Amino acid sequence: MSDLILLIPELILLGTTLALLLVARRIRTTPVAVVGTVLAALAAALASGWLLWRGAGPEFGETAFGGMIIVDGYSQFFKILIAASLALVALVSVRSIDGEQIPRAEYHALLLLASTGMMLSVSAVDLLTLYLGLELTTICSYILVGITVQRPRSNEAAIKYFLIASFASALLLYGISLTYGVTGGTGFADIASALSELNLADHGLAEHALAEHGLGSHPLLVVAMGLMVAGLAFKIAAVPFHAWAPDAYQGASTPVAAFLAAGSKAAGLAALGRLSLVAFGAQAQVFSVLLAGLAALSIVVGSVIALAQTDMKRLLAYSSIAHVGYALLGLVAGTSEGTSTTMIYAFFYVFMTLGAFCVVIALGERGENLDGYRGLAAQRPLMAALMLLFLLSLTGIPPTAGFVAKFGVILSAVTAGQMALAVLAVVFSVVSAFVYMRVAVFMFMKEPQEAAPSHLPVAVFAALGVAALVTLIGGIFPGILVSWAVSPQ
Amino acid sequence: MTAYPVLSAMTFLPLVGAVLILLLGGERRARWIALATTVATLAVSTPLYLYFDKTSSALQFVESAEWIPAWNIAYGMGVDGISLPFIFLAALLSVLCVSASWTAIRTRQREFYAVLLVAETAMLGLFSASNLFLFFMFWELMVVPLFLLIGVWGSSRRVYAAVKFLLFTLAGSVLMLVGIIALYHTCGTLDFKALALARQSLGIEQQAWLFAAFLAAFAVKVPMFPVHTWLPNAHTEAPTAGSVILAGILLKMGAYGFLRVSLPILPDAVQLFLEPMLAISAVAIVYGAYVTLVQKDIKRLIAFSSVSHMGFVTLGIFTLNRSGVEGAILQMINHGIISAALFLCVGMIYERTHTREIKDYGGVGKIAPVYSILLALFCLAAAGFPGLNSFVGEFLIIGSAFQTRTWLGAMAVWGVALGTIYLLWLYYRVVMGETNPGLAGLELELNLREVATLAPLALLALCLGLYPDLVLSYLRVPVAELLAGVAP
Repeated sequence: MSDLILLIPELILLGTTLALLLVARRIRTTPVAVVGTVLAALAAALASGWLLWRGAGPEFGETAFGGMIIVDGYSQFFKILIAASLALVALVSVRSIDGEQIPRAEYHALLLLASTGMMLSVSAVDLLTLYLGLELTTICSYILVGITVQRPRSNEAAIKYFLIASFASALLLYGISLTYGVTGGTGFADIASALSELNLADHGLAEHALAEHGLGSHPLLVVAMGLMVAGLAFKIAAVPFHAWAPDAYQGASTPVAAFLAAGSKAAGLAALGRLSLVAFGAQAQVFSVLLAGLAALSIVVGSVIALAQTDMKRLLAYSSIAHVGYALLGLVAGTSEGTSTTMIYAFFYVFMTLGAFCVVIALGERGENLDGYRGLAAQRPLMAALMLLFLLSLTGIPPTAGFVAKFGVILSAVTAGQMALAVLAVVFSVVSAFVYMRVAVFMFMKEPQEAAPSHLPVAVFAALGVAALVTLIGGIFPGILVSWAVSPQ
Repeated sequence: MTAYPVLSAMTFLPLVGAVLILLLGGERRARWIALATTVATLAVSTPLYLYFDKTSSALQFVESAEWIPAWNIAYGMGVDGISLPFIFLAALLSVLCVSASWTAIRTRQREFYAVLLVAETAMLGLFSASNLFLFFMFWELMVVPLFLLIGVWGSSRRVYAAVKFLLFTLAGSVLMLVGIIALYHTCGTLDFKALALARQSLGIEQQAWLFAAFLAAFAVKVPMFPVHTWLPNAHTEAPTAGSVILAGILLKMGAYGFLRVSLPILPDAVQLFLEPMLAISAVAIVYGAYVTLVQKDIKRLIAFSSVSHMGFVTLGIFTLNRSGVEGAILQMINHGIISAALFLCVGMIYERTHTREIKDYGGVGKIAPVYSILLALFCLAAAGFPGLNSFVGEFLIIGSAFQTRTWLGAMAVWGVALGTIYLLWLYYRVVMGETNPGLAGLELELNLREVATLAPLALLALCLGLYPDLVLSYLRVPVAELLAGVAP
């Protein structure tokens, strides 16, 4: 029973999913489904917060179900984030559902179920639970990407996404099985203790090799780690495993793209963070090399290719690739301080990216193309100002949340002695500044060509407001969040 | 002493004004709110000058509060004798910017004044910040309003100029960010005073890298040769208020950074980089002056003259002796006053003629005597005419340049000579001679508002020329302490 209490947030989402599916035929208006989803998300967030309060602060940790699941500050931090991103995505979906004839109940049920999967994966302390959580998310995501069945682009995107992501899942699973073969366990704690013994044994055998290369002498283990990192890198769309993301984002309905870019990435980062810190903490050097490579490539490729985009969804897709690179900087250090900077990055990233997507959605058809932003400031000053805020935050300019986030991860890279990586990261943030400010130039410095966009539905406006508040207040008063971002023990 | 947080009140008052403008709406009401806010800000800052203790080198009116406790970063404000004059200058120029934009800005006035006020907050905050984190926040906050000021309300090639400005300044400042983070990692604090004490933990090599990182940001802002190329575009395309802020305050941010960060925290690296810094400054003075000579556009001419004049400032700072550094700071204030005044003069006449080409002018003196007298005053002041403000600053800098290296002094004198030529030649071509037929029928004489805009600057130019101690008295103690720390 006490095990179930720890899973209340997941159970709330799951319950709502089932309820929505049961009454699917009776839901005739969109607001009912939206309100249901948002309420469930809020309840889940509250429940996560309550568990945190019950555990007396972010430093607690309680395992359940025979060590398959842990509820600690780290998991609750991400659960609240996932719930928030779910609520925001549900709010902004209002217009797309009506406009693109998406089945309401099923759509929201899938969102809820995917979020349940994310919550499970951030709580997982066993490779199998981790895999199950991630798969639940991914399978729901395939359907969400293809849910606008009338649009060929959407179908194409769903198939591409399905093929690549199932390949990635296979890699992950292969990595898991190899790890099991080497260490004899799938629990993070088992792996960690087996690895530290392995390391000790190695020290006796080949002290020099270990000191020089920092690799566990078991080649299978290195392959296993490589496969798992590759599988997770697919999920968070880090270069060179990113190719699906732009196509999937572009083909999917915009709220779905936002969902993939926000919560789903945060969950993947959380899983990667716990895996590298808790399970493979003893192999931090291997992980560090792998993650540093992913981070550098993602930052460079994401920023540079974003330069050439004129489709806003593709632009944001490449931007999110670059941001994953920045977020990974925190994990490179392999320390708990570093991981907590990644947590902060993920948190703020979710809100600023969702904010930018909200504006894209709010502008409708016009918002999907860069040209549509011409003269927006003259027609809708508030919306242009909010978009500017999100763009500044994505660039990392104070006093927005994006700056605090960037400050944290670069601090972590510098602390880890990765000076070159830190310099690379900031230099490419200038490249990305060009990407984002190009949108600002279109909004503020060009004459409008199209008629002013229609007024916003209240739901979209609410989502926009929440994202803007977090982006601004998070940038000015980041203190509380920074102190709550406690990495897993 | 006052108990309430003067510095924070002064810094964030303009931000409140900006929010008010956006909330209350009304295109015509906006400028009144902006004027009221800037005047109020100037008024709020007066206790600073009245109660400032000139005999102390410590930060005064200090405020501190917890901010990000997990990272050991605090909110900290405080001023010393070096930052105080800049606060006054920023507060004053903001009032004048509003006044100068009164009729010049006709589109999107609400947004314009809101952006201007945000820029004022950034300027005041930058000079009040007592730790590097806050300093960097305001440093970056300054970029966005100016990007918008240039890009939205500028003239024909404004987008190019705005983007170039943004990319140049960001490229510099991100390297500073790495520098700040590295400094924080090594010293564990970002407070200016604490950093100056903790500098022993920095090796010479580390200091050199940090100096280079900060140099990237400061050099772009000053701007030093050869990263000055954004400046002519930005100054030329910006609306008058934008040019005034750029020339009056933004260019000082870089030099202020040298005084706040490089000299006190990285003294060994300063000694290491001394020769190249002096050389670049001398090149900027002479090269800037020659390029200024051939300009055909008045605004561009004044913009390039800033390169030369800011060369004097960096030259003075890196002579590392008392009169040089004091002269440099005084000269920063002087340049802020004079170049702002010159840009205002150009803006006022441009509003009537809609041309900035020198060849379209001529004989303005016959039509607009008051304007011509004021312009003469500012041109002479910029040229370093005795009795006006620049003379004192340049004199101090050149004197200490001769003490350091004879050839530096010679270069500086050459720069002054060229300065006199381009300024007087400009004045000659615009004001003297036959009236240009293109100007016939235009009402060029200044109105009362414009005279009132220029009058404070004219008065300051005169007062500082005759009694430079107005500024120098603030500098004596902090500069002495600063140099005591740098001495090898």
